[in-house]
Amino acid sequence: MDVIRDVLDHQLVDRNQKKMGRVDGIVVELRDGQPPRLTYIEVGMPALARRLHPRFEHWIAALQSKWGARRGETFRIPWSQVSDFGIGGVDVVVDLEAEATPALAWEKWLREQIISRIPGASS
Amino acid sequence: MTQEIQLELLLGKPVQDSTGKTIGLIQEVYAEQQGDEWVILEYQLGPAAILKRLSAWRVGQVILPLLRARRTPIGYRVPWDKIDLADLEKLRLLCSLDELKTL
Amino acid sequence: MKKILQIALGILTSIGGFLDVGAIATSAEAGSMFGFHLLWALILGTICVIFLVEMAGRIAAVSKHTLMDAVREHFGFRFQFILLCAEIGIDFLVLASEIGGICIALQLVTGVDFQWWALPVAFCIWLLIWKGTFGLIENGVAFLGLVSLVFVIATFKLHPSLTKLGAGLLPTLPQQDTAHYLFIAVSILGAVISPYLFYFYSSGGREDKWDEGYIGVNRGVAAVGMSFGSVVSLCVLIVAALVLQPKGIQVDSYQQAALMLTQPLGYWGFLLFAATLGIACLGAALEICLDTAYIVSQVFGWNWGASVRPKEAARFSLVYTVFVFLASLLMVIGLDPLKLTLFSMALTAVILPLEIFPFLILMNDERYVGKYRNGWISNSVVIFTIALAFVLAIFSIPLELIAGG
Repeated sequence: MDVIRDVLDHQLVDRNQKKMGRVDGIVVELRDGQPPRLTYIEVGMPALARRLHPRFEHWIAALQSKWGARRGETFRIPWSQVSDFGIGGVDVVVDLEAEATPALAWEKWLREQIISRIPGASS
Repeated sequence: MTQEIQLELLLGKPVQDSTGKTIGLIQEVYAEQQGDEWVILEYQLGPAAILKRLSAWRVGQVILPLLRARRTPIGYRVPWDKIDLADLEKLRLLCSLDELKTL
Repeated sequence: MKKILQIALGILTSIGGFLDVGAIATSAEAGSMFGFHLLWALILGTICVIFLVEMAGRIAAVSKHTLMDAVREHFGFRFQFILLCAEIGIDFLVLASEIGGICIALQLVTGVDFQWWALPVAFCIWLLIWKGTFGLIENGVAFLGLVSLVFVIATFKLHPSLTKLGAGLLPTLPQQDTAHYLFIAVSILGAVISPYLFYFYSSGGREDKWDEGYIGVNRGVAAVGMSFGSVVSLCVLIVAALVLQPKGIQVDSYQQAALMLTQPLGYWGFLLFAATLGIACLGAALEICLDTAYIVSQVFGWNWGASVRPKEAARFSLVYTVFVFLASLLMVIGLDPLKLTLFSMALTAVILPLEIFPFLILMNDERYVGKYRNGWISNSVVIFTIALAFVLAIFSIPLELIAGG
């Protein structure tokens, strides 16, 4: 599998095909005498910001943990929970419930604090 | 001893041979499933690896002559244990260029 | 039968997408200043846009991924971040221009200054997206957009000389005012090849759940729809050339542009001009608003969709809500809508190479478009358009400075 082509930046969906972000980062564990192991998929603004410049990661994380949903950390999904890969342009499927993860913390916060207070949000 | 690195940050980093000459930038990482874990077996370097990542071989063959590129794009496949990842800003090739397979 | 209906609706929609404040303003300006001499720019732009829109629809139908999805999956976040920022910036200015167009239309009819209309107009746009489904927005605007055919009627009533029209199809340089001529040519191409159209159309294909069975529908909609929109723009240019140019009226404001239909059609012409301007701009404003929310959501992988209840796509809904009100502020503070339009169109030309280049890679990736990948004709058009876009990008800023918008 070509990890950059088939996994990185691909759409991440949960077991019910609900969109929960994109593969913003991939964590690798280097081991002595053994090939490096893919350990986590990362989702979140800090991980994305880091790809633009290392310093941005801390700014975004600090910003996110002070305001709004107060969730600043990047969400890590173990590779063992990935049930399907994006080969051939298909989404990366993980065996999780999107709503129950921090990946949707901001979506949920906005929904509860802002969007659902505007008339007509649920029709 | 184990160490964690971010794969996406490895992308586009130059790899130097023993003389300090850059042989190419990391463009793709090849992994395979072994048992219940996924392990990296190979790093792919150079312009050819970009074309491969973009699935753009066909387009490349049309465009590169238009841009008057003289050579066919080069690309190397480096086995996982032939790159020293200790310092991400200075990746070193641990073998000679002749030992590498080309893309 | 259902497909024929869809093609018909799709064609109407693309008229709405094609004909916006940029197309009307640049065509009117071109006709009033240079007669038929800039017809070629409109035709050239139309051919390019037909091919690119068809590709944006094809990738959505075959890969089930939108254009923006595919860009991130191929080129990674860094490239896309630049593209995203550029596109949001352009969308912002163009949306403000479209809102300006609606406000001017209301001002023409009511006499109330356009600045006062900006916030109410923004509210209506927001409400339509908030409550409406994708189908309602698409089809409602499309039917109202038929009013723009008034320009076609006016053209026939004015009996333009066919030989002179034919001469305008060949690019020529004028003896004087060359800088301004080229500036308008760049603006026309920027207005016709508008990037938001590609992302919007591609996302629309997903909203309508297109699959491989829609390849033919997509081709028909792109070709006929864009051509129809182009015909209306051509007629705007022709009417402006026949009515305004002989009187020496150069379009410095929309009030002057409104005069172009009064000669062939009387007071009704004035009202219909206002109606066309208002409705075309409303359609485009809805599309740009949605487009911005689409691309932001797709870049970050959020849930999106105009037919989804706002609660189920909170971040998506927040983006268009904030965006439409911020853009309307440019009109509240009283920026000149026509100047802003011409400026944004020329600026669009600057980022065009960045927007079109991905087509070349994406439309040849068999993993995404399978056997529906580009043939040599489509690829040649893309390469030509990239080259054209590069030339436009290089010249648009110097021309902007010399000709001064």
